[in-house]
Amino acid sequence: MDILPLQAGDWAFVGTNWWILMQGLYVTVLLTVGSLLLGFLAGFPGGAIEVYGRGPLRSVVRGVGVLLRGTPIVVLIVLFFFGVQWPDIGAVPLGGLLPLPAFEINGQALLASTAALGLRSAAYQSQVFRGAIRSIDEGQLEAARSVGLSKLEAVRHVVVPQALRRSIPGFQNEFTIVLKDTSIAFAVGLAELLTRGFELFTQPAGQTAVVEIILTVSAIYFVLTFLTNRTLDRVENRFAIPTGE
Amino acid sequence: MARLLEFDDVHQAFGDENVLRGISFGMDRTDVEVVIGPSGSGKSTLLRCVNRLTEFDAGDIRLNGESVTAMDVDALRRRVGMVFQGFNLFAHRTGRGNVTLGLTEVRDIPSGEARRIADENLARVGLSGQADSYPAELSGGQKQRVGIARALAMEPELLLFDEPTSALDPELIGEVLEVMRDLAEEGMTMLVVSHEMGFARSVADTVTFLDDGIVAERGPPEQLFEHPERDRTREFLGELDT
Ligand SMILES: Nc1ncnc2c1ncn2[C@@H]1O[C@H](COP(=O)(O)OP(=O)(O)OP(=O)(O)O)[C@@H](O)[C@H]1O
Ligand SMILES: [Mg+2]
Repeated sequence: MDILPLQAGDWAFVGTNWWILMQGLYVTVLLTVGSLLLGFLAGFPGGAIEVYGRGPLRSVVRGVGVLLRGTPIVVLIVLFFFGVQWPDIGAVPLGGLLPLPAFEINGQALLASTAALGLRSAAYQSQVFRGAIRSIDEGQLEAARSVGLSKLEAVRHVVVPQALRRSIPGFQNEFTIVLKDTSIAFAVGLAELLTRGFELFTQPAGQTAVVEIILTVSAIYFVLTFLTNRTLDRVENRFAIPTGE
Repeated sequence: MARLLEFDDVHQAFGDENVLRGISFGMDRTDVEVVIGPSGSGKSTLLRCVNRLTEFDAGDIRLNGESVTAMDVDALRRRVGMVFQGFNLFAHRTGRGNVTLGLTEVRDIPSGEARRIADENLARVGLSGQADSYPAELSGGQKQRVGIARALAMEPELLLFDEPTSALDPELIGEVLEVMRDLAEEGMTMLVVSHEMGFARSVADTVTFLDDGIVAERGPPEQLFEHPERDRTREFLGELDT
C-alpha cells in the first residue's frame, strides 16, 4: 500500500481554484447558520414542551423528535428535496463580494437542505435544552412562584437564563455535527464546500489533486470548528455564574 | 373583624396517605406562631397549603376572611411571603437581583426603584455589603437572609418560614434567627416551622405541635414546653432535647 504523494503542481491547482472552494465555504456557512438557527428556534421550545408540556402536544413533540433522530440525515435531505413541493425561488445569487466572484445556487436545494438539517438539529437541540432545564432545581421555580410570578414568568426569568448557559457545551457539540453534516447536501447537488471540492477534482486538470483538495477542504472544516468552539468557550465564560472560587 | 389567617378543618392527602387530617387554628396580625412536630407530620404541607404551592383537598384557609382558594393564586402569593429550608435562591442573579425579580415582574416597579427597595431590604437583614454577590459566593446564613429580604420586599401580610435554619451550620443559625427576631419585634406576622426552642420560647406567641396530620397540642410556649398536657407532646419534646 502506497500513500499517494502530494505534489507541488496539485497544490498549485488548489491555489488557482481557491475561490471555488471559498464559494463552497460561503454556502456551507450559510447552511450551517440557517440550520442551527432553525434548530434553535424549534428545538428550544421543543425541549421546554418536553419538560413542561402535557397531553397531545407533548406526545407529538416527543414523537417527531424520535422520528427525526432515528432517520439518517441523507434520507432526510433526499426526502425533503424530492418529497416536498418547495416554492420555486429559482437560482439564488450569492457572492459578488470582492474578491469572491458572484455565483448562483439552486434555491430549492438550499431550502430542502436547511429544512432537513435544521429540523434534525432541532430534534437534538431539544434534548440538550430538556436536560439543561431539568438540571435547574425545582426549588428555584417554587421560590419564583412564591413571590407571585406566573409559571411562564418563572420559567422565563429563572429557568431559561440558567438553562441556556448550561446548554452551551451541548450546543458546541451540535454545531460541530451540523457543520460537518452540511456536506450531505452534496446528495441534492447543493454547491457547498465538499460539492465544490468534488467539482474540482473531477475536472481533467484536477484529477491528480484529489488528496490535496480533500485535505484543504478538511482543513477548512477544522478551522471553522476550532474558531467557533473557541468563541463559544468565550461566551460560556463571559456568562458563567460566579461561584466565588 | 376577620382573623389574619384561619385554618378551617384543612385536609390534604397524597395518594392514600392522609397528611393533613383536619387542621383548625387561627392567627391575628403581628402574631408569631411556631409549628413543631416530627418528620412527616405535615408541617411543610401545612405551610404550602397557605400559598397554594399545594392545593389542599378539603376545608378552607382564609386570609383576612377571604378563602385563599377563591383568590387569584399569584395575587395570593404576592401577599404571603415564603422562606425555604433550602434557600432556593436564583443562582444566576445577585443578592439584589434575587430581591428585584418580584418587584419588577409582580409589583411592576421600575428597575431603578426596585434596586433601591432591594438594597433597603438587604440592609434590613444586614447584607448591605453583599448586594452584588451571587448566591454561590454567600455563606448559608447570608443566603437565607437574602431569601428573607426577597420575601420582605414584596411587603407581605404574612411570612411563612419552613425550617429556615435547619440546613445551616450551627454557627450560622444565630444571624438568621436574629433577623427573624427583629421582624417579629417590628410586628411582622409569621408562621414558622422550626425546632429552634430558644427562638420559640422567646419570640413565639403560640406554639403548635403537629403530629400525624392533626394539631395535637397548642398553647403559649411556656405552657407547651413546661407543662405539656399530652404524653405525646412530652415524648416529642424529650426527643428534641437529646
Ligand atoms: N408532593 C408530594 N407528593 C407526595 N407525597 C408528599 C408530597 N409532599 C409531601 N408528601 C408526603 O407527605 C408527608 C408529610 O410531608 P411534609 O413535608 O409536610 O412533612 P414535614 O412535617 O414537613 O416533615 P419534615 O420535618 O421531614 O420536613 C410525608 O410523608 C411526605 O412524603
Ligand atoms: Mg418539612
